Amino acid sequence: MAATALSREERLERARRRKPKRQIRSTDVLAWITLALLLLFSLVPMAWMLSTSLKTQFAALQLPPEWIPSNITFEHYVRLLSPQSEVGQEFLRYFWNSIFVSSMTTLAAVAIAVPAGYAFSKFRFPGRQGFFIAVLIRNMFPAIVFLIPLFIMMRAVGLIDTHLALIITYLTFGLPLAIWLLKGFYDNIPTELEYAARIDGASRFQAFIRIIMPLSSPGIIATAIYAFIIAWNEYVYALTFLTSRELLTLPVGLQRFFDEYVTNWPGLMAASFVMSIPVVIIFLVLQKFFVQALTEGAVKS
Amino acid sequence: MAEVRLDSVIKYYDNVLAVDDVSLTMKDGDFVALLGPSGCGKTTTLNLIAGLIEISDGEIWIGDRDVTDLDPKDRDIAMVFQNYALYPTKTVYGNLAFPLQMRKASKDQIDERVRRTAEMLSISHLLERRPRELSGGQQQRVALGRALVRDPRVFLMDEPLSNLDAKLRVQMRAELKRFHQDLNATMIYVTHDQLEAMTMADNIAVMSDGRVQQYGPPEEIFYDPANLFVAGFIGSPAMNFLYGEVVVEGGVTSVKGDEGWEYPLTPENAQKASHATNGRIIIGARPANFILSREEAPGLIPGSIYTVEPTGDSTFVHITIGEQIFVAITDPFFRADPDDPIWIDLEDERIHVFDEGTEEVLRVDGLNSQSQHGRRTLQPA
Repeated sequence: MAATALSREERLERARRRKPKRQIRSTDVLAWITLALLLLFSLVPMAWMLSTSLKTQFAALQLPPEWIPSNITFEHYVRLLSPQSEVGQEFLRYFWNSIFVSSMTTLAAVAIAVPAGYAFSKFRFPGRQGFFIAVLIRNMFPAIVFLIPLFIMMRAVGLIDTHLALIITYLTFGLPLAIWLLKGFYDNIPTELEYAARIDGASRFQAFIRIIMPLSSPGIIATAIYAFIIAWNEYVYALTFLTSRELLTLPVGLQRFFDEYVTNWPGLMAASFVMSIPVVIIFLVLQKFFVQALTEGAVKS
Repeated sequence: MAEVRLDSVIKYYDNVLAVDDVSLTMKDGDFVALLGPSGCGKTTTLNLIAGLIEISDGEIWIGDRDVTDLDPKDRDIAMVFQNYALYPTKTVYGNLAFPLQMRKASKDQIDERVRRTAEMLSISHLLERRPRELSGGQQQRVALGRALVRDPRVFLMDEPLSNLDAKLRVQMRAELKRFHQDLNATMIYVTHDQLEAMTMADNIAVMSDGRVQQYGPPEEIFYDPANLFVAGFIGSPAMNFLYGEVVVEGGVTSVKGDEGWEYPLTPENAQKASHATNGRIIIGARPANFILSREEAPGLIPGSIYTVEPTGDSTFVHITIGEQIFVAITDPFFRADPDDPIWIDLEDERIHVFDEGTEEVLRVDGLNSQSQHGRRTLQPA
């Protein structure tokens, strides 16, 4: 027998070095190709945007296009971001409006979704199942369906042309998933933790704030990112509800840029690029929690 | 420390009756085990005492206070949970300090008590760790520490040892018993493990179907079970039950078994059997009260060997009588082959006689003082 030809030490050494066999399967290759195509699909427009924003107006319209601009210029960014220039003032105002609307939406979404998710998870009350399904059903309809009803309602309460109208509307988009996500989180936190805190001297509310909520912070952060991105990117409602120029949010504001500076492609691309920065930063910083929330969604007891 | 009294406590979950009119008095300083199979209502009863779930009817008193409508935090209790329920985001120190912080103890006081408790449980070296970095046994100690860190009036424990491995469980059992004796605390301990209940408790409340079947010291529960359920639940291997009809022939009372055997009763057992409501009884005999014989003799119950299990210091003999299999415990060197004939005698003064109709134990005077049907409020005997 081959095994006995070697000493025990030699066989142990061989066994220690043996690596688990890895073979590349055809499905792996297929997966890589698919991923690569998807990546290309999402990255090329962004690269194009960045590239164009660094060109002069003349270079931007050249054919065939230059992928890497020969003359890199930051003039469009300087103009956009300088409070002195007229364009800069306008852009920064839209930017600030977007930040305000998105932050308020995020704060309100977290403030509502956290207790709501907990209630749906741990409390027993009449209509609990019905309410929960009702919350989710909202997500089955395309957002545009609610445009006219919401417009009429907002007009009735005098909220047209206010940021509040947008914040309320974005909440109705973000809350269903946020509540659902957080409920899943709370489902996985053992009830005994709340019990233990209450026996240790906490009221039900204190037990929630001091013990349960810190445990659900990945879920809360994920909810916050989600709500922020929805509000940050939304276009149609902002276009419909807002009329005053100084109230516009970035997506609509960019549209106006497009109208007025129709020939200024690099300027538009620079504005688009600046607009995508906050979301990218937030996502990069907090993605760890986001992934954890979506995959794990649980606290191991 | 305080007495805990349940007065006609009822708990419905939706339409399921989880606790069925339970009245119990746990004496000050007692170690009381709530023992029963899963779903018997023992954990619900404990949670009711803790105030974690809402009572449907009845009253709960701790000491001279009616706590029925008080929040858990106002009942001055401590509790250890089966899954420990340690706060994952806090260190061991933070876990132990939390009950004191919530009661607004001073920093120095908290520090002193946390360190003293950690010392007592030999977990001082773990104070800076987080629960997930601890072994099961260490987590268990921290959970215990969180209960011991203040001086509650009552300790509640919900199967605290069931997640430990067998060896650690035996060790913690002894430690818990010692804590109880040192602290002289009232402890209410939920378990499905009769060994834990028998070894630690001063009094055991055996529960089934939301009711207390019997309440008394371990010896009484074991040697004088009030009904068929208690008799069958306590003891391992379980008590054997022989069903039969009471027959009186020529002044001698005997039981005619459903499998065809006939076993004569002593005068005392005959007296008990005479109270049977429909003339049928169940004889309960623990495995150790079976006396095996290789020779046929009048008055013995015939059977055949099913299998023989040597355990070291005794032998478990499984015996077929009719269609049923019974277990006897006999000397360590008993050996037999399957289907060997065997004859069984019973230790007459150790067997129990139950009414087949009511499943209550039958006594010489016919009364069963221990059963819940007999008394309203159960006091430990």
